[in-house]
Amino acid sequence: MDDRLRDPREVMREEMLMRDLVLATLREGPRTVPEIAEAMGSPVHEVMYWVMAARKYGFIEDVKEPEDDYFQYALVEKK
Amino acid sequence: MDYDVLVVGGGTAGMESALTLGDMGYSVVLAEKEPTIGGKMILLSKVFPTLDCASCIATPKMASTFHHPQVTTMVCTEVGNIGKTPRGTFQAQLNRKATYINFDQCTGCQKCEQACTVAVPDQFNFDMVARRAVYIPFAQAVPKKAVVERHGTSPCSQACPAGVKAHGYVSLIRSGMFDEAQELILEAVPFPGTLGRVCYAPCERACTRGELEGALPIRKLKRFAADRYYQKHPQPKPGSAEKKHQERVAVVGSGPAGLTAAYHLARLGYPVTVFEAQEKPGGMLRLIPPFRLPPKVLERDIANVTARGVEIRTGERVEDPAELRKKGFQAVFVASGTPRDKQPEIEGVDLKGVTGAVQFLRLAASGTKPSLAGKTVLVAGGGRYVIALDCARTARRLGAKRVVVQFRRSREEMSSVEWAITDAVEEGVTIQFLKAPARLVGADGKLARVESLDVQPGKRDVSGRTLPGVPGGTTGSMEADLAIMAVDQEADPGKGREDLRITISKTLAVDARTLETCLPGVFAGGDVVSGPSSVVEAIGTGTRAAECIHRFLRGKQRIPEEVGLNLPAVDKQTVLGRQDQYTPAPPGGRSKLLVEERRGGFNEVELGFDEKTARENAARCIDCGGCCECHQCISACPADAIDFGMRDENQTLEVGSVVVSTGFDLFDPVGKVQYGYGRFPNVITAMQMDRLLSPTRPYNTVLRPGDGKMPDNIAYILCTGSRDCQVDNPLCSRVCCMYTIKQAQLLMGALPLADVTIYFIDVRAFGKGFEEFYQQSKAMGVEFVKGKVGRVEPADDGNLTLHYEDIAGGGKLAQTEHDLVVLSVGLLPNQDALALFAGGELASDAHHYVKEVDEDHSPARTSIEGVYVAGSAAAAMDIPDTILHSGAAAALAAAHVEKVKR
Repeated sequence: MDDRLRDPREVMREEMLMRDLVLATLREGPRTVPEIAEAMGSPVHEVMYWVMAARKYGFIEDVKEPEDDYFQYALVEKK
Repeated sequence: MDYDVLVVGGGTAGMESALTLGDMGYSVVLAEKEPTIGGKMILLSKVFPTLDCASCIATPKMASTFHHPQVTTMVCTEVGNIGKTPRGTFQAQLNRKATYINFDQCTGCQKCEQACTVAVPDQFNFDMVARRAVYIPFAQAVPKKAVVERHGTSPCSQACPAGVKAHGYVSLIRSGMFDEAQELILEAVPFPGTLGRVCYAPCERACTRGELEGALPIRKLKRFAADRYYQKHPQPKPGSAEKKHQERVAVVGSGPAGLTAAYHLARLGYPVTVFEAQEKPGGMLRLIPPFRLPPKVLERDIANVTARGVEIRTGERVEDPAELRKKGFQAVFVASGTPRDKQPEIEGVDLKGVTGAVQFLRLAASGTKPSLAGKTVLVAGGGRYVIALDCARTARRLGAKRVVVQFRRSREEMSSVEWAITDAVEEGVTIQFLKAPARLVGADGKLARVESLDVQPGKRDVSGRTLPGVPGGTTGSMEADLAIMAVDQEADPGKGREDLRITISKTLAVDARTLETCLPGVFAGGDVVSGPSSVVEAIGTGTRAAECIHRFLRGKQRIPEEVGLNLPAVDKQTVLGRQDQYTPAPPGGRSKLLVEERRGGFNEVELGFDEKTARENAARCIDCGGCCECHQCISACPADAIDFGMRDENQTLEVGSVVVSTGFDLFDPVGKVQYGYGRFPNVITAMQMDRLLSPTRPYNTVLRPGDGKMPDNIAYILCTGSRDCQVDNPLCSRVCCMYTIKQAQLLMGALPLADVTIYFIDVRAFGKGFEEFYQQSKAMGVEFVKGKVGRVEPADDGNLTLHYEDIAGGGKLAQTEHDLVVLSVGLLPNQDALALFAGGELASDAHHYVKEVDEDHSPARTSIEGVYVAGSAAAAMDIPDTILHSGAAAALAAAHVEKVKR
């Protein structure tokens, strides 16, 4: 059986669709990556790509102190 | 000579060689294929054993190289076909790739990158995070300029006769930028609502996803953008009232070609008047039944034209276009279409009850729709398939009890209109394939009966298109009250067109390049020139006509360049080859009214997408061309630096000597299936870990890619892909032990509570300070386990179980669980170096590195006199050794240049 992960290129392409879902989840408050994934119903390792891209391009930021080894991410307040 | 020395590759070795030679006074050209110099070193966190910051060392060296007065740095440049001249110099061909960014204007602000709608893996972060199709490689890039990744024009965009950037608006819809999608379409055409419904969608036929589970519904995505925009903006934004030009332009005919030409000419600043013989503008578009194109959609599309200040005079028939020139119009565009039915030459066509398709549809579109209640209708479909089916479906809606369409072709030959055939059949239309009316029989001067012939399947012409079949011998007959001849259409010859040249097909003759007729200043295009064509082709001609007329009026070279800035279409197989696998993603969404909902009315049959469905469908796009040409970067760039007109440039240079510093490749651990790379997200390479430890890291700190957890029990597997005959690399990579120990020490600083275990065969700490560095890591608590790892298996919570041979424990099999596994991958030769020289003269060693012919006495000397190798193009080596080796190569190159100069 082919147990390879989805090609990163394919997952990343979906970022533009998924970013709004990530941001919608975070409107309810800061979340860890597994929490965002659970809310979206998507594989957590794929959500990691979308969360980190949203962070890279300034849509979200990490909340300072991690809890139980996981950082929480929150929406960046637009000035 | 153009330069004394050509240095190929701008990594550590290339920069060092170039700087050394430059400092000696030699002129150097440094060619780097990436958009930045710095090689792999600039991507590292720190260097061993000193733990100095890699960026702090590399960045000044990159800047010094780029700004050195004796060094010309060319990024995005590929070198090939280097050959030796008789006098001992070299000729090299350089392909300077178009960056689509004017570097002189780019300020490196990254606003283009923020605006871009295409996400691709960031190769400078080893695919751990996305970048954009327009991007600056990283913060310390030199030069810090954006580049656009553009492999070619996407097949969908390339296929559009009207020049609509299909990939661009699909990408914008995917991003939820619906208004921007519509505005991009409006850059090319004024008819998004119409094309979103009636275009034959050559974009979809070209779509690469069609090679997988089905093309994207690109046409319907266009409709979605238009419908949403029109709902939000019932009236268009008024265009600028300012007319830049005084020359007046007349357009004869308000069909798609005429109105498109008027639209673009008005955007260029010309006062334009359109003359239309009918009472309403739109030409043949007016005859498309409302169940396919609601009139309000067409009206709104036409409003895009009038909002630009175009005056449309309806009910004004122009007999002699040349007369308009005398009335003060400096240019005239004749786009009067093919509004007349061309009747077939069969007996009985003059009977009452026999009509043409255009005539029938015009009547049906008028305020006085005829009633066909209880009637039997025959439609003869010649070459106008869709019009024939429009007639049949309209007849059903007007009450006809039986409607039969006869086509001379088989259903298989008409696959392009299968959707229309299906709709018609669903609505109760009977379709007879390979059949044609032979005689129309009347009674009392009125149609009573149609006699038909069976048609034999035809042969194919040179283009592979099937020719209509030859009538056979079998006859059939049916009673009919109305026969609609949808066979062909022709232009209206007019009464005052004697001065214009008419072709044998009764179309206007024009210069194919300029669209100008034999009368100066009178242009023609669309169906009146080509004969009946599609809406989108007519629109494309209108766009071209506007450009031709603009050139005529401005006194420019009359033959326009290709409309738009398209590159050649990217090859579909190359696109598909970018991924090993594609997850099936069939198109979704209910698409049509139910049959019972269609009965007795003219409501639109095809349904549009909602936002969610539109975005999900758009997200199936695989970004064939790289850049989608959505033009958001152009809007965002404050320096006006984006230039899609840029093209690759080839340059031939003569140089005295060549330094090959093309660096190394990293082993791809997908080949070591047992370690799970590519199957388990928490198995990464050491290069990826170096990125996680670097100040320009892809995440906020060291996190597991699988779930964002801070790891606390990390395993390293040394010698992954080196000292391994199974992967054909018996060599030790010389740096893996030390970079692993470096990372272990850095991890202990970054994650103080984390355990780090290194699984090794033997640790090779041979350099200055290396053994001390090794011992220091042990003292810090790094655990070293002598044992070969056999396999990695998934455990709970994203953790991984390592199965290994515990050599120090007597060779027993053992297993340990970790939450992150790092593969210390080996170095491989970059074999691109061997292809640099014409005829493959550059010799390689047994391991495919560039061969040093006299390694002991004259390192860096290659098999070609005057060509020298620097750094890890010759063998795996660390940074200090690379610097030394590069100095040797530079010295030898300088000596050769002196010899050549003498």
